[in-house]
Amino acid sequence: MMNFQKTTRLSGAVAIAGIAALLISGCTRDAGGTGNGGGAGGGTEASPGITDDSLSLGISSPLSGPTAGPGSCTVAGLYTYLEAKNADGGFEFGDGKTRSVDLTYLDDAYDPAKAVSNFRQLVNEEVFAYVGALGTPTNAAIMPIADEEEVPQVLLITGATAFSEDQAANPWTYGLLPTYYDEGFAFGELLAGAGEPVTVATLAQNDDFGEDYLAGFEAAIEGSDVEVVGSATYEPSDTTLNPQVTELAATQADALLSAVSVTPLQVGVLTRAQSVGWLPRVFLPSNTSTPGTIIEPGAGGAYPALYSTSLTKTPVSPAVAEDEDVIAYNEAFKQYGSTITTTYTPHCVWSYIEGAILEEAFKGMEEPTRDSFMEALKSIQGFEAPLLLDGITVDTTRDDQPAIDGIELVQFNGTGYAPVESY
Amino acid sequence: MQYFIQVVVDGVATGAIYGALALAIVLVNRATGLINFAQGAMAVMSTFVAFGLIRAGVPLLLAAVVAIVFAFALGAFLERVVVRRFEGGDPDSAVVVTIGLLVLLGGISALFFGYEPQPFPSFFPLGTINIFGVFVSLRSVGTIVILLVAMVLLQVLFRSTKLGLAMRAVADNPRSSALSGLPVSRLLMVGWGLAAALGAIAGLLVAPQLFISPGMLDFALVYALAAAILGGLDSPVGAVVSAAFIGVVEGLAGAYIDFIGDDLKIAVPFAVMIFILVLRPQGLFGRKVVVRV
Repeated sequence: MMNFQKTTRLSGAVAIAGIAALLISGCTRDAGGTGNGGGAGGGTEASPGITDDSLSLGISSPLSGPTAGPGSCTVAGLYTYLEAKNADGGFEFGDGKTRSVDLTYLDDAYDPAKAVSNFRQLVNEEVFAYVGALGTPTNAAIMPIADEEEVPQVLLITGATAFSEDQAANPWTYGLLPTYYDEGFAFGELLAGAGEPVTVATLAQNDDFGEDYLAGFEAAIEGSDVEVVGSATYEPSDTTLNPQVTELAATQADALLSAVSVTPLQVGVLTRAQSVGWLPRVFLPSNTSTPGTIIEPGAGGAYPALYSTSLTKTPVSPAVAEDEDVIAYNEAFKQYGSTITTTYTPHCVWSYIEGAILEEAFKGMEEPTRDSFMEALKSIQGFEAPLLLDGITVDTTRDDQPAIDGIELVQFNGTGYAPVESY
Repeated sequence: MQYFIQVVVDGVATGAIYGALALAIVLVNRATGLINFAQGAMAVMSTFVAFGLIRAGVPLLLAAVVAIVFAFALGAFLERVVVRRFEGGDPDSAVVVTIGLLVLLGGISALFFGYEPQPFPSFFPLGTINIFGVFVSLRSVGTIVILLVAMVLLQVLFRSTKLGLAMRAVADNPRSSALSGLPVSRLLMVGWGLAAALGAIAGLLVAPQLFISPGMLDFALVYALAAAILGGLDSPVGAVVSAAFIGVVEGLAGAYIDFIGDDLKIAVPFAVMIFILVLRPQGLFGRKVVVRV
């Protein structure tokens, strides 16, 4: 028999390791966080990282860990655009020179501390600008340092409002994507305009990601016939959302806002709700609405309607296979981006578009300085970047909004997404 | 009332996931007296073997069998090559070694299959059974049935077979067992192998729900350890009952206690567990350890 003291010691070790595991897993999937900074920029002759024939960019994104898929795409799409253009002769700049643009990318595993150290390393290696990094907490940690060092930290792949809403206070930081708030708002607007009373249940991740969705949604339904009859939250580390769905199903609400960012959990929501006899109209966030990975495994066809939002054409969808932009993207991606990742997420296209926006900014950049770059970057208006849906453009002149202007509410049609007509 | 029963049934189904892994932990503990933190990572790696085979076109059932055999070999191998060197020493260093294995095996899985969660086919159809308004998914039923069968088999193995008796003897007192002519080395390998095979079954059962990725069972492992300890660490029945208990308590607390809700419910079973362990340090089903002086 093991003696008693040994058992307690063993249990103690187990408890400590268990707590450590909880803490670690609690940190890795955090999709939230805010940051702030202050100060103003100043100009010099030629900034670091730019010569007469080259310019260097840096990025740190999660290339390992649970967010590795989107993180790899965040690098791969941009890399594809830059390399394809370099091979085509290079980028034309506003000062009349043509430069090739190279990209250094580092892995931060979605860890803010690692992201900061990567950022410092890139700045020491004299990158001209830090572009397109994925992640709310990671970018929030970098924001004050970018401000202090006066290094552009721009076109960030995150839907958090913090990076674009106060550009006077954070002049070196700038977001790319429409916010989660906007997505929630678009869905709320649809329900509010239904012309009949609608009941809604909400399920949201217990952090900024979920809260932004709810805030946008609630703002849109205020004063309308839409009533929230049930709400639940979850932690990204949960293994199942069945209890939450069971609770919400008891309301038999007409619609469900499912602000869930974790793929298996979102699939679980779709399978669970229908299996307990609840078939609401479901809204899915743009990052967990892909037909192949979410709707098919979740048997989403059973629901009367599935909504999401979209910005871009989906290059992997056969429906747009003949589109000129899509052909160009697919060919270039096969040659360059596929060396980084082969799994498609929308982030690949977002970061590809980011490449096009950078090209546009370079065209307007009259001096080889970071100041001139920021000025050019913030003066783009009505730019129809490749792969963006009709009606969605790039407008960088708004002082409280990210670069891409507009969002389209779409509805699942059995194979892919099509624009929503009405509720 | 219907809602209450539904919450309880859901809790049992959730608990079944933790229970499967807890069983493997109990098995290793009974066979070697250790707690294996790498149990989850070994299970995930074996499930990845099935995943790779399925991707190569092998039928699900055959792939599962191969994965279970692989798991047995992996468990026996790790025991023989790595863990053997720390058995009989300080249990704390052995625990740290298994944590090292957890990280190592996770990394190896990721090397081959990446970190992105990927869908995994299920043995059971997606349907549900409706019993008087309470919905039970066929997957949950399947998981629970397999789990119960495994639990009974384990109980029989330890209580009523010579192999089980020998394994218990080895775990209890390796030196005397060796002197009595038991093949201690082989028995330890078998114990780890069986535990790993059981872990693989757990992995195969939960992968359709959690999606397969190297970190798939990291969080489940915390619950599984809690269940194993609450159950008494050496009792298969205790592990399974405690796992169901944790699932149900968590569900009920989230559903019925307003200020706890979804945010704090995770803490409730652990708080209850501490309370129970204070009153009954040997766990719900564990045997009290008595030392003759």
